[in-house]
Amino acid sequence: MNLRRQPDQALPVIAGGLGKKYRRGWALRETSLVIPKNRIVALVGPNGAGKSTLMGLITGLLRPTTGGITVFGDRPTGKGLHPTVSYLAQQKPLYQQFTVTETLKFGARTNPTWDQRYAEYLVEQAAVPMGATVGTLSGGQRTRVALALALGKRPGLLLLDEPLADLDPLARETVLRTLITEARTQGITVVLSSHVLAELEGVCDHLVLLHKGQVLLAGDVNQLGADGTPLGELALNRMREAAQEEAA
Amino acid sequence: MIWVSLRRQRAQLITLLGMLTIGAGAIILLRSNMIDAINSSQLTQCVTQALQECSAAEAAKAFQTTWTTRLNVGQAAILSLPALIGVFIGAPLFARELEQGTHVLAFTQSVSRTRWMFSKLVVALVPALIVLIALQYLVSWWLSAAGTLGPLMGGSFSALNFGIAHFSPVGYALFAFALGAFIGVASRRTLVAMTAGLGAFIVVRFALSGLVNRLIPAQRLEVAPGTPMDVHQDGSLVLDEGWLDTAGQPVSGDRAGTLLQACKSTPTGTPNTQEGFLACLPQSGLAKRYASFIPESQAWQVHLIDASIYSGLAVLLLAGTVWVLRRQS
Repeated sequence: MNLRRQPDQALPVIAGGLGKKYRRGWALRETSLVIPKNRIVALVGPNGAGKSTLMGLITGLLRPTTGGITVFGDRPTGKGLHPTVSYLAQQKPLYQQFTVTETLKFGARTNPTWDQRYAEYLVEQAAVPMGATVGTLSGGQRTRVALALALGKRPGLLLLDEPLADLDPLARETVLRTLITEARTQGITVVLSSHVLAELEGVCDHLVLLHKGQVLLAGDVNQLGADGTPLGELALNRMREAAQEEAA
Repeated sequence: MIWVSLRRQRAQLITLLGMLTIGAGAIILLRSNMIDAINSSQLTQCVTQALQECSAAEAAKAFQTTWTTRLNVGQAAILSLPALIGVFIGAPLFARELEQGTHVLAFTQSVSRTRWMFSKLVVALVPALIVLIALQYLVSWWLSAAGTLGPLMGGSFSALNFGIAHFSPVGYALFAFALGAFIGVASRRTLVAMTAGLGAFIVVRFALSGLVNRLIPAQRLEVAPGTPMDVHQDGSLVLDEGWLDTAGQPVSGDRAGTLLQACKSTPTGTPNTQEGFLACLPQSGLAKRYASFIPESQAWQVHLIDASIYSGLAVLLLAGTVWVLRRQS
């Protein structure tokens, strides 16, 4: 009970035996996982590995079929997101008819921990005009606005589902750089999912490798790669092994 | 959260305000034109009299030819407004969010789903109901100016008059709105919610149209043959009528018809006199005529029951909507 009152002392994510079954089958099975504080976590795996499902379970958008999960000591429910958690879904949903100013006002009205000045600063940094309607923005600009909305909440844990997927290489780099700067200076734990490990290599310091709903590899990068194997190769080897085990 | 819902519904609110302004303006203009027409053709007394007693029968007929259609259009507008509220406000309310994925945006802020839902429901429903009630009031104000020259002559229970009076339109609107919203969250498709919602609304309206009359205790009237039954003239809703035999049991319609036909001629084959006809009826087993009816003065009770049924259905559907949305998938 005491832990719940002190979210600062609880770990961002603790999952035990966590599983999720959809009508078409298991998306995530018997996953036990701990995400430590102040890390930039790469959640990597091929399409359909269960990355979005894991994020949905952390946010409480989905209900686990088996096992349990705590986020900063609390069990996620459908009653709104934990105040210290921000989530940016893959489709980057924003109200198309809202202007950027109105989008930030939406954030202010729906989040008690909102920091308007910080959110405005992030939008200005991205050089997105405040008066523009969201529907008229480019993909890169939309991502920056969505990111400002997610960060304006002053989260302790930021979940980003394939944040770079629909961006051009230049925008990828700037978005990623902003993200890392903010995460490091604000002490935010960031979970980035991607099916391409290469784009997160050199950025993340913690890796979670998912494959067919199971965790193949999880841990700090400096420990995993202690023997000097590049991260990409490590992940690929682990996935090959898994595929061979399956075939056997 | 109210600000967010107001901003999301802005286009609809402007449309509603426009509808109210244009509708009110049109009704006020038409009403004053109509009163001018009544005055200029000296029909003022006929507004409160039955048509048969109206001295200027020709002018009354001419007035009706011009104005009946317009008045009926006004009535039809109020009758169809609940369906429109269901299709254009209820159905897209959640379906559009679910379709475009923006519900994820709302669900991942620090606001509970329940609060989000209720603020959306209130902001969508309350202005629509206000506009509906205002237009309903204006149309009935216009109709009452025409009095018995207009559609009100048909009595409170005629299909058009009943559907636009008292609490009924609000009941229908609540039901149509809730139906649209529920199909919207169940199907997650705006177009499905709009079309299926409209279809289901019309089916239910027809299916339940006769039900409410049976839920209120009817009055019964029994008269001797030859006495006129004024229930057909005084605007009452006649539920059942026919003949009773000497034991007080109802006579079937076919049999009553045969007996009546038989009494119209004497046993010798010549047409019967009125006295002979009336004397013949009790002898052949048609002792009394009866009617069960709801008097016009009780119309408000029928409306109350009608509106309660539809509001009850609406509450169930809204509870279903809340349940589906709160469920974590």
